[in-house]
Amino acid sequence: MAFLKRYLIPRLIQYVLVVWLGITVVFLIPRLTPNDPVMAMIGMIRARGSTLEPGSMDGIIADLTEMYGLQGSWLDQYWAFWGRLFRGDFGVSFFQFPARVSDLIANAMPWTLGLLLTTTAISWVVGNIIGGLAGYYTRKGWSRTLDAIAMVVRPLPYYIFAFALLLLLAGFMRWFPITGGASLGAIPSFTWAYIKDVLWHAFLPALSLVVLGGAVNFQIMKLLVQNVNAESFVQYAKLGGVTEGRIVRKYVIRNALLPQITGLALSLGQIFSGALITEIVYGYPGLGMLLYNSIVRADYNLIMGITIFSIVGITTAILIVDLAYPLFDPRVRYY
Amino acid sequence: MTAMKQTILRTDQLQAFYVLDMQGAQKIVKAVNNVEMRIYENEIYGIAGESGCGKTTLLKTLFNDIVPPLRLVGGKIYYRIGSEEVDVTTLSPEEKRKLRMEYISYIPQGSMSVFNPVLKLKETYEDFVRSHVSGQSREAIFELAYKQILTLGLPRNILEVYPHQLSGGMRQRVTIALASLLQPRIMIGDEPTTALDVVVQRGVIQMLKDIQQNLQNTIILVTHDMGVHANIADRIGIMYAGKIVEEGTTGQIFSRPQHPYTRFLIDSLPRFGDKNMRSSVPGSPPSLADLPTGCPFHPRCPHAQDICTRQMPDFSHIDENHKVACWFVGEGHHGQVA
Ligand SMILES: Nc1ncnc2c1ncn2[C@@H]1O[C@H](COP(=O)(O)OP(=O)(O)O)[C@@H](O)[C@H]1O
Ligand SMILES: [Mg+2]
Repeated sequence: MAFLKRYLIPRLIQYVLVVWLGITVVFLIPRLTPNDPVMAMIGMIRARGSTLEPGSMDGIIADLTEMYGLQGSWLDQYWAFWGRLFRGDFGVSFFQFPARVSDLIANAMPWTLGLLLTTTAISWVVGNIIGGLAGYYTRKGWSRTLDAIAMVVRPLPYYIFAFALLLLLAGFMRWFPITGGASLGAIPSFTWAYIKDVLWHAFLPALSLVVLGGAVNFQIMKLLVQNVNAESFVQYAKLGGVTEGRIVRKYVIRNALLPQITGLALSLGQIFSGALITEIVYGYPGLGMLLYNSIVRADYNLIMGITIFSIVGITTAILIVDLAYPLFDPRVRYY
Repeated sequence: MTAMKQTILRTDQLQAFYVLDMQGAQKIVKAVNNVEMRIYENEIYGIAGESGCGKTTLLKTLFNDIVPPLRLVGGKIYYRIGSEEVDVTTLSPEEKRKLRMEYISYIPQGSMSVFNPVLKLKETYEDFVRSHVSGQSREAIFELAYKQILTLGLPRNILEVYPHQLSGGMRQRVTIALASLLQPRIMIGDEPTTALDVVVQRGVIQMLKDIQQNLQNTIILVTHDMGVHANIADRIGIMYAGKIVEEGTTGQIFSRPQHPYTRFLIDSLPRFGDKNMRSSVPGSPPSLADLPTGCPFHPRCPHAQDICTRQMPDFSHIDENHKVACWFVGEGHHGQVA
């Protein structure tokens, strides 16, 4: 099949190369910085006031060096690094010592995925449908009203909007919790009580993301639809007396959605770096906070772990869009 | 002439202007200005004129697709539907929509991307048909479509493809096939052969003729190409600055053009064996937003006299088919049959 040879296989090779290159850069960067994480760690232990016996110093250095994967030449380290990667082992966190990076990520991941998958999907679907209709019926009152609302909401800095929601609905009205992903002491389980607790905690962060994300999608889609609406195939369908419902759905919105599909894939790929500001404002236990803390504390293994997820997430998302795009737009063909 | 020809479409002092709001000041483009037409059943009526003279706008108006900024300022449009004459300007949007495809259909310009790029042509067909004929199964619609495709001599699988997979000429044939599918009484074409190369153009013209023969309906065809008119039209209306300035049978227009503007148009046609560049009309057409007084052609007319700058002439009728609006044709008989 020409498609396999001329498109799919080269594209997969490219995908693997990009991932490999990205991860290699992730491996190199901490090693190119002048900080020695082992000495930094020892400095920290000392700063905590623990006294180290002079004789045990060498042993500790050796242990730390091994644990951080820093023994041997860079090439040795590189081999070992890939070996561990394939076993899903990202080493230990420097600063939440001795917690394993993979465990830390595994703890944060469900929160992030749960929150961001849902909100990304909802704001995409709702923003595009409403934006699409508003773009087609620009002269209607409701369309202008929505446009005005989006114009006010869009430029609001996210943290101010999120904080205002928190203050009003959690602080003042006390309808929602101030912080956290679930109530303290709640035991994770598939019971309705626990799920309700999680949804209750997720509501405000989700609302803030959906409103702002939806407003962005609304505005983009509205513009896209206005452009498509002026295209000759839409005019022609009108001259052919095609019913309005068909024109809106199959001619206007469907064509305007094409660029939005790429946008959706990119935002899905970015989920793996979390939603930092949301997590800070609402004290939500996701990947964003974890990444932030790891950067602030120069926790290289943790940075590497999260970054690798991010790299794989984004490149995979782009690969999937590329492969699936011809299903949406028959003009794009790879053979 | 033997039997009286039945009128199928008629306009009455039609005025359709673009009313544009330019920062408070109103700009009025008089694109269709007092057009009085009578178009018959079973004929091909050609409308000719330079680019920008209002041909597209006239077609839109005849098609009853008058949307802002275009406004019907005066006059009426009548279709004869069944045995009744209907003033279609008063119809509701839904009534207008229903007439399209079924009673009057539209053939777009050849260069335009008129098909939805993400749908196979048969899906477009289905949308167009379903919007008008209810209760038909998909199979019945496709059977109708395929039968017609074969009758018109188009390749059988032509509806299975996406629009970008067809050549411009093929795409144009499909638009014509689609426009004639529900056997409308009137078909309107805006430069359907422009942007096609000459050989393809000939095929498309033949196809239009065949369809008209078959359906015995009316085709109103706009093109600035007098050569195309010579090939296909039964009667021709010459348009200048939003007005019809001369109308006659194709024979009359080509062999005895009366209006100075028509003569320029005919003279600008290349002739067999003639290697000289043909002269085109001198000067440039007036702005429809700022028309000269009197006859709008007077600034370019070699015969212009004082009266031409002051007053627009009425039609003089040279015979029952041929009429012309010029002060120097049929002197003293303006508005009367000669
Ligand atoms: N949508 C529009 N808004 C404003 N002016 C228009 C519009 N469409 C056409 N016009 C103007 O109306 C005049 C006639 O245009 P048109 O009917 O397209 O002429 P033609 O088809 O003969 O080239 C031109 O002066 C053109 O600029
Ligand atoms: Mg035109």
